Amino acid sequence: MIEQTHPVSSDPVVQVRNLCKSFGYLQAVDGISFDLHEGEFLSIFGPNGAGKTTLIRILSGLTRPSSGSAMVAGFDVLSGDTRLRREIGVISHATCLYPDLSALENLLFYAKMYGLDDPEGRASRAIDEVGLAPRRYDRVRTFSRGMQQRLTIARATLHDPSVLFLDEPFTGLDLQATNVLKSHLRELHTERRTIIMTTHDIACGLEMCDRVAIQNRGRWVSVEPVDRIDRDRFETLYTEMLGR
Amino acid sequence: MNEYFSRVAAIVWKDFVTELKTRELFSSMFIFALLVIIIFVFSINLSIVKASEVGPGILWVAFLFAGTLGLNRSFMLEKENGCLQGLLLAPVDRTVLYFGKLISNFVFLLIMETFTLPLFMIFFNVDLLPHLLPLLYVIFVGTLGFCAIGTLLSSLSVNLKTRDVMLPILLYPLIVPIVIGSVRMTGQILAGEPLTEMMNWVGLTLCFDVIYIAVSIMTIDYVLEE
Repeated sequence: MIEQTHPVSSDPVVQVRNLCKSFGYLQAVDGISFDLHEGEFLSIFGPNGAGKTTLIRILSGLTRPSSGSAMVAGFDVLSGDTRLRREIGVISHATCLYPDLSALENLLFYAKMYGLDDPEGRASRAIDEVGLAPRRYDRVRTFSRGMQQRLTIARATLHDPSVLFLDEPFTGLDLQATNVLKSHLRELHTERRTIIMTTHDIACGLEMCDRVAIQNRGRWVSVEPVDRIDRDRFETLYTEMLGR
Repeated sequence: MNEYFSRVAAIVWKDFVTELKTRELFSSMFIFALLVIIIFVFSINLSIVKASEVGPGILWVAFLFAGTLGLNRSFMLEKENGCLQGLLLAPVDRTVLYFGKLISNFVFLLIMETFTLPLFMIFFNVDLLPHLLPLLYVIFVGTLGFCAIGTLLSSLSVNLKTRDVMLPILLYPLIVPIVIGSVRMTGQILAGEPLTEMMNWVGLTLCFDVIYIAVSIMTIDYVLEE
């Protein structure tokens, strides 16, 4: 069982027990168990094909696990309860933005889909928060990858979710866009949102999280609070794993 | 219930704004329907064959083939940038997605058909105006059935590599009752018969409309699941 970094008296926001997912002979997620409390930030590292994305998809209710259980914000991910989806925000490789709609139209659409009050106001404020106000009426197709990623953050946090799942959010971003994203994630962490992030970027992952896990071939081979890890040993372990 | 409809309306609004900006769907469907009609005009000797006899079949072939293009494109729009995932993450019942896409597809097809009808009249020298109301009714129920099952199958095939091939292969056998009913009714209307004389075909087409919508509601959860 994994060590708790937060008081055990509070109920975990994310509770995963012996989660497994196989695609034919391939075991993408293999017996993962952990608890995550309110405001905790967990970074998951792992080589390509380690099953990180599958884990995020299961936790966000997009993929059904083969066995095991997972509760997020008090809802069973297997139940298909729409209230679960109101509690989570997901940022993945895909931006989920319509390229021919403007930034404002995209967020307006999602605000309506989430049934938010004052959708125009919410969408407008969200665009201001990620610094895209001057481009609000421009088509998303004309945005750079960094701008699209900022708008993706606005989309994923528009409904004020208590849990955030980030699947390699730094992929393809330049230094400036990475810094913007990092500062936004820090803000979200300060607001005590529970965050799970998968990444290949060791520096970014270690800098922001409370707990670190390494996933390889569907299993967690190491899980530690970030203040207890030896960075050199961690990097060596991770690099060795990538080399295998 | 109001929330349900406002979210269906949000999907329809999104599809319309996208189409108004790109005009990809309408232009491709309309040009395809026009080409089908032109090809048949030149391949059939209208001095031997009566236009009112071959016309209904040609008209529906144009509608359905062009409609298949539209159905294929409809969910492709959701695949770009992983937008389908964004929809699946929204806290709504999956039937909201189905009805939103169904209404969009249905209205786009009706608009394309409205623009195609006058061209059909000109090329085949058929006067549709005296029969316009019953004809519009037949087009309405035929198109509804086509879109009802087509939207479901389009969502099913969107994740397949061979989606362009799979959609027609799955769709055409299933819409046979709708096509037969619609072509027969259109033929009888062009021959001057009133709708009351073809209630069996009206009943059959309406019955399949209801069956296709009911099947879609029951299965859309599984279809959209990975």
